[in-house]
Amino acid sequence: MSLTHLNARGEAHMVDVGDKAESRREARASGAIRMRPETLALLADGELPKGDVLATARIAGIQAAKRTHELIPLCHSLALSKVSVDFELDEASASVRVSATCRLNGRTGVEMEALTAVSVACLTLYDMCKAVDKAMEIGEIRLETKTGGKSGDYAREGEVAEAPIVTGEGEAGEVSLGARCAAGEPCILVKCLAELRERLGVGEVSLPFNALERADVGGLKAALKASDPRFAGLDEGRVLCAVNQVMAGNATPLTAEDEVAFFPPVTGG
Amino acid sequence: MSRVRVQQQAFDAGEEQRRLIEARTDIGAVVGFTGLVRDFNERPEVQALSLEHYPGMTEAALEAIVDEAESRWPLQGVRVIHRIGRLAPGDPIVLVVVASAHRRAAFEACDFIMDYLKTRAPFWKKEHTASGDYWVAERQTDHRDAERWEVSS
Repeated sequence: MSLTHLNARGEAHMVDVGDKAESRREARASGAIRMRPETLALLADGELPKGDVLATARIAGIQAAKRTHELIPLCHSLALSKVSVDFELDEASASVRVSATCRLNGRTGVEMEALTAVSVACLTLYDMCKAVDKAMEIGEIRLETKTGGKSGDYAREGEVAEAPIVTGEGEAGEVSLGARCAAGEPCILVKCLAELRERLGVGEVSLPFNALERADVGGLKAALKASDPRFAGLDEGRVLCAVNQVMAGNATPLTAEDEVAFFPPVTGG
Repeated sequence: MSRVRVQQQAFDAGEEQRRLIEARTDIGAVVGFTGLVRDFNERPEVQALSLEHYPGMTEAALEAIVDEAESRWPLQGVRVIHRIGRLAPGDPIVLVVVASAHRRAAFEACDFIMDYLKTRAPFWKKEHTASGDYWVAERQTDHRDAERWEVSS
């Protein structure tokens, strides 16, 4: 492992990123500022003399992320596509937790930008509150997660990077919730999982039980295809089926309120 | 301690084995298998893996596989842990520990559980590589491995 900002002679230099491939980079950093409980209460109630503390600190953090290259000597100037700064007031520890997320499509990582956003948001919180509390303490500023780029993904121990983990929580924009049954109407809940969910663009739908000409899985497939052309994809490739979480086939009978899941062959282990 | 766990957190294979056999003197053999995330698969440069599952059915399927193993071999204890969520190359992903009075039963039952897990438990892997994300396809070799156990029962 070597330090990329030092050349062979140990001198500081800016890394040439011209030949690196562009990829989607995202980094999230966090930090905290501890204060007296009374100060936190004033902050929460918006009663500090300088006005809306959190809104000001948020703008400060976003502005700082954009100017990171002016502050850190060997950082490149980046056209960030997204910067967000969020605050969480924690009464138990009398602190404000600050987190910042930066993103871009480019050739260098954005962790310095996220760390800078958190640092400056914390400094701004200090500035906004110092009239009532000079003992505030800024700490725990750190990188939480980083994705994209040659060095690969990073997540702090105990952190779980955002990812679709559980069925039905597909990535935004890829999943639509289809029509629901009217209240009280007997229906069948249909789930599409994993690759099938992304391929069809359907996560969960419910279908009136009466829409089925035959009360079995084959009948359900026909009714789904009649209701939405995307379900034609159920016939492409090997698609498995479970009724009430037990493996099933086209002839498996259905009754109202059954849960039917369609999914591709399993690939665990 | 339940025989089957589906979790995001990492596991400690040594600790799981120790807990499975502690205070027991009737166990003569323990076989443990740990599966790890590889940095190459259908494509090179796998940077991360996302594991999705079907909550509820997953646990039931794993329990059924362990039941089947216990009906085929005399086993003193079984532990199956499968992780979900985002994992990096080198991370442990699955653990099977089988304890028995004799080694043959422990070896075979562990092998059997992994073969059935790979073809019957509802987990799906999505690999994140330098050249994009894709869902892992099923492998015929996994099906052939599982079919080995379907004869003469």
